[in-house]
Amino acid sequence: MTMTATAPATLSVIPDHRSTKVGAVRTLALRRLALTLRNPRSVAVPVLTPLLFALVIAPALANTIAAPAGANAYMTYVALATAGLLIPLNCMFSGLGVIVDRQQGAMRELLVAPIRRSSIVLGNLVAALAVTTGQLVVLIAASALRGATYTAGLHVLWFVGAALLFAILMYGLAEVLSTRLQSPEEYIGVLPVVAIVPFFFAGTLFPITSLPQWLDAVAKVLPLTHAMALFRYGLTAHSGVQALHNIWGMSNAGVMALLSLAVVGLYALVVFVGAIRLFTRAGTS
Amino acid sequence: MTSGTLAIEAQELVKTYPGGVQAVRGISFAVEDGEAFGLLGPNGAGKTTTIGMLNSTVTPTSGRALLGGRDVARDPVGTRSISSVVFQDAVVDRPLTGRQNLELHLRLWGVSGPEGRRRLSELTEAVGIVELLDRPVGSYSGGERRRLEIARALLSAPQVLFLDEPTVGLDTRVRHDLFDAIAGLREQTGVTILMTTHYLDEAERLCDRIAVVDAGSVVACDSPANFLASLGDEMLDVRVDDTERVVRVLRSHGVAPDDVVVIGGTVTASLRAMSGGDALQLLAESSVDVRSATTRSPSLDDVYLRLTGDPIAPTDQLERTLP
Repeated sequence: MTMTATAPATLSVIPDHRSTKVGAVRTLALRRLALTLRNPRSVAVPVLTPLLFALVIAPALANTIAAPAGANAYMTYVALATAGLLIPLNCMFSGLGVIVDRQQGAMRELLVAPIRRSSIVLGNLVAALAVTTGQLVVLIAASALRGATYTAGLHVLWFVGAALLFAILMYGLAEVLSTRLQSPEEYIGVLPVVAIVPFFFAGTLFPITSLPQWLDAVAKVLPLTHAMALFRYGLTAHSGVQALHNIWGMSNAGVMALLSLAVVGLYALVVFVGAIRLFTRAGTS
Repeated sequence: MTSGTLAIEAQELVKTYPGGVQAVRGISFAVEDGEAFGLLGPNGAGKTTTIGMLNSTVTPTSGRALLGGRDVARDPVGTRSISSVVFQDAVVDRPLTGRQNLELHLRLWGVSGPEGRRRLSELTEAVGIVELLDRPVGSYSGGERRRLEIARALLSAPQVLFLDEPTVGLDTRVRHDLFDAIAGLREQTGVTILMTTHYLDEAERLCDRIAVVDAGSVVACDSPANFLASLGDEMLDVRVDDTERVVRVLRSHGVAPDDVVVIGGTVTASLRAMSGGDALQLLAESSVDVRSATTRSPSLDDVYLRLTGDPIAPTDQLERTLP
């Protein structure tokens, strides 16, 4: 195609300019969301996945495993456990976008933009958090409509805090892996180990006390175990207290919850700061 | 050139990658505000690494880079705010539309509101892509995508524009078309351009000065006109079986050693004191069996050959072929 350019005589002059840090993070988050949600499939999958767990899998497991009297409680238990799967999976898939950016060249444009390298990581994190929040809202709302029973009130903040910190941790891990691994194939190979395997040992489908003793000890150092206990403490106080007690063996629920929140927060801080440092170093050869 | 102030300064830049690979071995040059400066050299010469050190994506092992008087290492964000890059390969978000890509660039460079919209409108008109703007970039041809990237790079009105082999992979017609657009935009914006290329005609067409880069070092720096003038008026290419004999004959009749280059079975000579016809007569008298001979005007390819001893690209500027 041959194009005829009709150039204006002069181009307008623009004054000195530079994007603010908040502005850059917002722009990059919107870019990532636009890329993530660019087609109907990209919208449908994050919505349908929590619906499937809330409306089909949790009730089915409850009907199969639990006694009729406890079916509703177990359905709630499994529905909440789904949060421990959705957060890692969504954050890890978000990290795949970083590899795609690098392979398709868009990362080079971002690296020469007048923004701090950390803004790129933070922008991607904000987009991952937005999608994850949407999934969790769908999960909780759909499971509640299906009959799951959750407590309301300020206690919910334990759930919100734990979910936020755990999502930051998982996205930090995703960023580390996407910086280290060269291809989507390598990344996809590692994804189940990071996002799915811990799910089965973290008090999601059954309490960690049901695990062999040595695995119980492993479970107690997994951040997901602490996040899961806080999810339950925030939305279903009784099973939450039990989950926290299984980890800490104390009687004061508030102290145990704070300790678990500190564990998840520490993991998130270390991994996310490491991810930013690694990305910043990798952005300059 | 609009003034004597320096837009780009490279001071003894060195880059050694892990493993000891020396990509750049002490490159120095200065580009004045509004000047178009070319780094000319083959793949692997260190051109892209040099641009990387100037736009803060490559950390120099030693040396100093300055943009608009600011130290790139000390103020990377500040220097990036006054520069833009058009890369060798496409760096756009292909699923997004052209407009979304341009708006993203505007926001990242902190240009917002009516100024940004006006600039977007003017530049897309200038490079002729207005009608493509609302299509996903994945559906653009290579030339269209490159036009989009050039418009995008100029959206923030950069003081310095890096063009890293901007027409690589494009066919000849699109390449020329695109170069017209770049030259037109340069006239309108007065932007300082640092371009890397191995297309000699592009360097000659756009650049006020050219630095020839070979194996990580600048081997010569001058204006295209001065480079060409240094070669004399006429070039002779002869294909023969015995190249050594041709070299001996030419040198024995006053052709300087530096003015004769042998590539395979072809001898290329800069002729200053004799014409092409005289040279061929001389070879005939010396019983040299000439398979074919061509005379033509000097080109930057000859400059490059003379400076480095290697051809950079096939010559396509033949003027007349002798029998």
